Amino acid sequence: MRKNLKADILEISKLKSTDRIKRLKEKTLSEPRYLSLEQAKIITKCYQQNEHLPRILQRAKSLESALEKISIHIDTEELIVGNRTPGIRSGVVSPEAGISWIDEELSTLDRRPQDKFFVRPEDVSVFREDILPFWKGKSLEDMIKYRIGTEISEIKKVAKINQTDHAQGHICPNTEDWLKLGPSGLKAIAKTYYENASTDNKIFYESVMITLSAAQTFMKRYGSLANQMAVETDDVNLKNNLEEVSRICFKLADEAPSTFHEAIQSLWFLYVILQMESNASSFSPGRADQYLYPYLIHDLTNNVLTMPEALEIIEALWLKFNQIVYLRNSNSAKYFAGFPIGFNIACGGQTQDGEDASNALSYLFLKAQEHILLPQPNLSARLFKGSAPEFVYECSRVIGMGSGMPQIFNDESIIPALMRQGIKEDDATNYAIVGCVELTTHGNNLGWSDAAMFNLVKALELTLNNGICLQTGKQLGVATGYLTDYKTYNDLEEAYKKQLDYFIDRMITTCDVVDRMHAEFLPSPFLSSVIDGCLEKGIDVTAGGALYNLSGIQAIQVANLADSLATIKHMIYDDKSLDASELLHALQTNYEGNDILRQYIINRIPKYGNDVSWVDHIGNQWVEYFSNKLSTYENARGGPYHTGLYTVSAHIPMGQNVGASADGRLSNDPLADGGMSAMYGRDKQGPTALLKSVSRINSIYGSNGTLLNMKFLPDFFKTDEGIKKFSSMLMTIVHLNISHVQFNVLRKEDLLSAQKNPDAFKGLTVRVAGYTAYFVDLATDLQDEIIARTSYGDIS
Amino acid sequence: MIGTIFDIKKFAVHDGPGIRSTVFLKGCHLNCIWCHNPEGISPKVNLWYFENKCIKCHKCIGSCQNNALSIQEKPLSHIKIDTEKCSNAGTCVAICPTGALCFDGRTVSTQEVFEILMADQVFYEQSKGGITLSGGDPFYQSDFALDILKSCKNNAIHTAIETCLYVHSDVLEHFIPFVDLFIVDMKLYDTYEHQRYTGVRNESIKFNLHYLADRKVNLLVRIPLIPGITAKDENIKNIAAFVHSIRDDIKIELINYNVLAESKYRIMNKSYSLLHNMQSFTQSELNHFNQIIKNEGVHVLEEIHLD
Repeated sequence: MRKNLKADILEISKLKSTDRIKRLKEKTLSEPRYLSLEQAKIITKCYQQNEHLPRILQRAKSLESALEKISIHIDTEELIVGNRTPGIRSGVVSPEAGISWIDEELSTLDRRPQDKFFVRPEDVSVFREDILPFWKGKSLEDMIKYRIGTEISEIKKVAKINQTDHAQGHICPNTEDWLKLGPSGLKAIAKTYYENASTDNKIFYESVMITLSAAQTFMKRYGSLANQMAVETDDVNLKNNLEEVSRICFKLADEAPSTFHEAIQSLWFLYVILQMESNASSFSPGRADQYLYPYLIHDLTNNVLTMPEALEIIEALWLKFNQIVYLRNSNSAKYFAGFPIGFNIACGGQTQDGEDASNALSYLFLKAQEHILLPQPNLSARLFKGSAPEFVYECSRVIGMGSGMPQIFNDESIIPALMRQGIKEDDATNYAIVGCVELTTHGNNLGWSDAAMFNLVKALELTLNNGICLQTGKQLGVATGYLTDYKTYNDLEEAYKKQLDYFIDRMITTCDVVDRMHAEFLPSPFLSSVIDGCLEKGIDVTAGGALYNLSGIQAIQVANLADSLATIKHMIYDDKSLDASELLHALQTNYEGNDILRQYIINRIPKYGNDVSWVDHIGNQWVEYFSNKLSTYENARGGPYHTGLYTVSAHIPMGQNVGASADGRLSNDPLADGGMSAMYGRDKQGPTALLKSVSRINSIYGSNGTLLNMKFLPDFFKTDEGIKKFSSMLMTIVHLNISHVQFNVLRKEDLLSAQKNPDAFKGLTVRVAGYTAYFVDLATDLQDEIIARTSYGDIS
Repeated sequence: MIGTIFDIKKFAVHDGPGIRSTVFLKGCHLNCIWCHNPEGISPKVNLWYFENKCIKCHKCIGSCQNNALSIQEKPLSHIKIDTEKCSNAGTCVAICPTGALCFDGRTVSTQEVFEILMADQVFYEQSKGGITLSGGDPFYQSDFALDILKSCKNNAIHTAIETCLYVHSDVLEHFIPFVDLFIVDMKLYDTYEHQRYTGVRNESIKFNLHYLADRKVNLLVRIPLIPGITAKDENIKNIAAFVHSIRDDIKIELINYNVLAESKYRIMNKSYSLLHNMQSFTQSELNHFNQIIKNEGVHVLEEIHLD
């Protein structure tokens, strides 16, 4: 450990972003996003030439071919180089995984509502003539449609099956070993296994070696390009930079990194190549402040690097994380809006000995976040009861900058939750985050964290309406009866269980097929080289080679479920103030002509998020039921199914699948956001009550990840005292065993939206004088005043 | 014991150290013309009507046995409450689907308040926070206030009380063992001015501050800055000098004028006597007032603003 962390923290707190970083950031953001077909073309050609080979060798050779041939680009000022396309932020197409949707959406990519990409006119013909014809009927997407397409669409309103048109992501590779061994070291290990392997396994190791050799070639190509550019420039500074970049690239091809700069470049190459092998969402560096720390200390101790230089390298990497974006189909873009790619970095947390793990790098990461304020990396902070107050304070301060990061994860609840899934204590202690909020072990897990999303609210709708969809009138579920048939609340619960069991079973069967088809169509030998277990077992990661093989299903959405059942229990069975027939009719007619009942339900029946324990317990009861039911199944790779409680932006499209619900929500309206959040505007008792409610959903069940959104005004973070109080709230969250929380620090624009759409912002509070009031309850002129006030308070 | 409150605010972060819950008790002996919690002045519970929440279902009108509710034409509010006829029976409040009709306070027991406060105990523990009694003025219902404080203190919860100290010192004495922090509002030093703007003279307030200071209790003095009334150099200087004369470790905190106070007056159909469109003080104006305090040798409690 470095002796004087306090001095380091003080030095880091004063660091500024360099002009070079500012220029690179500007370039990153200003370049328009285009569809890029170059790799797709290369891959297609490679498959055409190797049609007779086993799929894993085809995949290895395709990656090899891409690494050898793809156009590469270096910006003269770059400290960290490499991308999977010559353009910044291009949308990449992976024909092996999914091609049909691109064909259908090619002409609308540039004007779809979410995540637009430009398409060059010549690329349309390249796609339709050179790529599409070969892949038609052969891609994972097409094969899944062919084999189980009907089943997927039949259950989709309740269980949306994912991973049907792209390769597996949401993986935290063993970056630490990659840095220690490099491609050459890993290749040597694979070679030893190869020599002792049976004929069947030889193909796997051969594929691994092909990709690792190609990785070396790729690095050397960057070395050569940088060298050539150095020769061509007259600017001494640029020349020096390019020569250093070139030296590093050549070195990394054959050796392990020894300096901090080399290690960061090596890390980035790993992630670029992973993204080239599998155009997937989220490969996560995980606890980079832990495994990169020795490199930083080495350089600082030997005086070959200063703290400002270290920060500049980190910020250069932060920008690179924003240069790879993920092109999704338009439906998926609705569920995951804003092309999140999920380079998730987790800083802080604890060591295996239970000591505070935060170090100078944790603070440098937070400083970089403060300076860059872009969507990537998805910066997470792990907190536990022993977190250093300085670290918690710094997290709070950066959260106040408004980028929504770092998001907070809680060791106290996550480690036991992971251990419940059979994960060993040391691996659970070393957990990381992938994608948005999904939990994983480090470097040894295929977590398949987004296998499916299960709509609990839709399942309740079917339970109340004899299995018939309120929106279409079609029979979707089991004919368990109507709300009016259930004599007791217990009868209703039993019917709901039947409905859940029915769809869970169909969902798992389908997920298993999808899982096996990934092994069949998208084996990933390069990824397998950096996931513990695969080389040892000689089994590809997609086929169960990893040490841990989990599958995550998201249970959606606790708030609407608890609120709906609370209405039914309270009004129909306990109070008997409402006839079951009246409520059923209101739901069937989308509350038409019954706004009084709807308003009464919304405003007068207790809701999740207000520290009302009986309502919260209803939510917990069904999460428990769902989670326990899942744990009776085993996935295709021999691992457990477990539960996640998050939606990202899926609460909107999933709400479109649900008719009117008994919580007063109208048909098609969004569900509650997040996963653990209360229905917007219905948590009226402030943040402490919300957190108390959330803490009643036992975090042990959310081992795949949970999501709670909270909103704060920037004003709160303007004073030292405010930040300290916020920090103490974070520590309370730790003590309440809440696994995750992320914060929206609201600005002027948000308040303007609140004015236009007050229903969605009912819970937003503002400080008035000696008291706090709800923003939307204030008169317009007063709201205007507050808006004017917050714009003075802009902190950036 | 039973008392009347008009609110309990969780996550109160400006009423003492840490994260707190603040109980607002109804009733106040003062009647400050700028009062930002006007519903706290009257000890009685009144019916309120929020037109922006009303869906005009008119269920309330038929529900009232006293015929106290009727519809009226714009620009008057949609529902008219005849306060003469209203008996606070609450049938309209119970039936209103949106909460547009509600009471501005409620009667509660000490135990009920205590349980609501203890719900956030974990927040108090982690933030070194606690509970604060405010109002109105907590001393208006002094027995009830003391009862709440005792239950909290007995459970090791940090307690604060926010008051204008317009109370007999015999009553005050009983509170001392159960209050960790007295937050005292000093509005105007001049007795005549004090009477003019708050309705009462301030000799007893000054005496009580002295009294508390002598008893070595933890004290914070707050001055609300009301433009043209309290926010005058001379007034600030006099209060600071007075505070310094009684004990030199007492800090003063200035509370900036907040233009939002007007909103509640409208709901209550009360006229707001202050001029419209008065502005909050700028940071440099606040610095000026703070300097006056410092010149008297008094420490200013100032939140550190980050760059």
